[in-house]
Amino acid sequence: MENLNIEATKYTPEIIFDKSGKLSIKGKSYPENTFEFYAPVMGWIKLYFLIDTLPKLHFSTDSLSKELTLDMEIIYFNSSSSKLFFDLFDVFEENKENFDITINWLYDEDNESAREAGEDFIEDFENLNIKLVPKQR
Amino acid sequence: MKIDINPMIIELENLKNEFSKTTNKLIKNIDRQDKIMFRSDKRQQYEYDHLQDRLAEVERLELAQKELMDSFIILIAGAIDAKSKYTGGHCERVPELAMALAQAANDCNEGIFANFELKTEDDIRELKIASWLHDCGKVTTPEYVVDKATKLETIYNRIHEIRTRFEVIYRDFQIIALERKLQGENAADVESWLNIELQKLQDDFQVVAKANLGAEFMQKEDQEKIKIIAQREWIRHFDCSIGLAFEERERVKKDNTQTPNIEQLLSDKQSHIQPREHFDYEDYEARGFKMPVPEHLYNFGEVYNLTQNRGTLTPEERFKINEHITMTIKMLETLPFPSNLKNVPIYAGMHHETMIGTGYPRKLTIDDMPIPARIMAIADVFEALTASDRPYKDPKTLSDSIKILSSMVEKQHIDGDIFSLFLSSGVYKKYSDKFLKPEQIDRVDVTKYI
Repeated sequence: MENLNIEATKYTPEIIFDKSGKLSIKGKSYPENTFEFYAPVMGWIKLYFLIDTLPKLHFSTDSLSKELTLDMEIIYFNSSSSKLFFDLFDVFEENKENFDITINWLYDEDNESAREAGEDFIEDFENLNIKLVPKQR
Repeated sequence: MKIDINPMIIELENLKNEFSKTTNKLIKNIDRQDKIMFRSDKRQQYEYDHLQDRLAEVERLELAQKELMDSFIILIAGAIDAKSKYTGGHCERVPELAMALAQAANDCNEGIFANFELKTEDDIRELKIASWLHDCGKVTTPEYVVDKATKLETIYNRIHEIRTRFEVIYRDFQIIALERKLQGENAADVESWLNIELQKLQDDFQVVAKANLGAEFMQKEDQEKIKIIAQREWIRHFDCSIGLAFEERERVKKDNTQTPNIEQLLSDKQSHIQPREHFDYEDYEARGFKMPVPEHLYNFGEVYNLTQNRGTLTPEERFKINEHITMTIKMLETLPFPSNLKNVPIYAGMHHETMIGTGYPRKLTIDDMPIPARIMAIADVFEALTASDRPYKDPKTLSDSIKILSSMVEKQHIDGDIFSLFLSSGVYKKYSDKFLKPEQIDRVDVTKYI
């Protein structure tokens, strides 16, 4: 399985999903078509969770880390990105039994709505380990 | 037949569970959707506020930058005015005059002014900056040239003067010795000869002293007189190449430095000429400057200076003075003015041009000069004429100044339309009331000029 590397653009964040289990989404999220833009991201993470249960025939046998950390540092995002993050966290929640998952929600400490968005995720995903990480400007 | 309802109940139970699970998920999704919209609106507001803050910040910085730039401009203008007491508050007053004229041109809708308009604040700012900086090149003009008040004034190494005093004392001793030797001679004869020669010497000095002032135009015969006086001889007994700084010593070495040596009373020596070095002729031409460049940087020759027929300046010094405008242009053309100020070098750099291509540095004509540039030219002259803070000249009265401007209009050195506007708009009056001394403001009939 390959690492996922998507460079930042004016409207989309930098995404680095490393098979060592270090994942990050950083920047702004205003894609023209959010679900299309994040399709490879959703595909990658679903495959990651699934890959150990598949026959090893078609995939390299290097074992993947059971420990995942996702750093999310989204300065600005539109509502469909927000919807997509819920979908992404749904996938994490479905796999929380078999993986040790930590999500760091990094936000600018002056940005109240960014903190509240993080709180919403915590409320909706009681069983996920979501940490709010305020950053000083 | 007995029907086993248990599997059906289990099936129903399962269906019920499935249904409530789906319902829950649906409700959760609806809740989520609401949350997403609510948060999204809030974030948008935050982003909007943030953008507004940034915009306000940018505007503040823009203003601060403008203020800083204006302060720099005033600082430069102040430095020029402070550099020479002879230019006084010139750089400060020219903007006042130029802006008042521009305003009058703006208000006037006739003739050449019909289409002239200073539309925006930037247009006004552009002209203001240009008028503040119109002489900025003067920071590069040596004071001794700007301030040169007599022909013989220069940066002077007084070793020469002291050496001369030595020479004088030297002669005094000789004279006393001779007098003693001559004691046997007829005293009255010697006395009358001496008186005649001393009187001649006095007269000659009067001629030289008067020529030195440069106050009157020198006729050819005046120049010849200087050349004859110059031929008086004296014998130098001291080495004129010692006690000098390196540069001057190198120049003086070209002269005859032997002792004793018969010298002329006044002379043009090789050492009086300072060569022109490092002059970028290519750049000068590329920028369209057309003033003829004198071969030498300076010529300090005594006869050469004393026989200049007009004013105190040699052609070399005149060029050095006029270079202030090429320096102004070079400096301003080098600055990265934003597009809303791109005309600053144009407005600032044309105030010594005339309407018919006889001005400097580019020999432009009226067609090359936008109205603000022509305004600058009149403002520059009128301020210079009426200024009462130049030690080398008396301030002109209002009527004399206007008369001179009108003769300049006749010769097409300045723009007649702007001159008329200057008078008809009353700008001349307002400026005079503010900056001229009461005794300068005399009656002037402007109607005969309009």
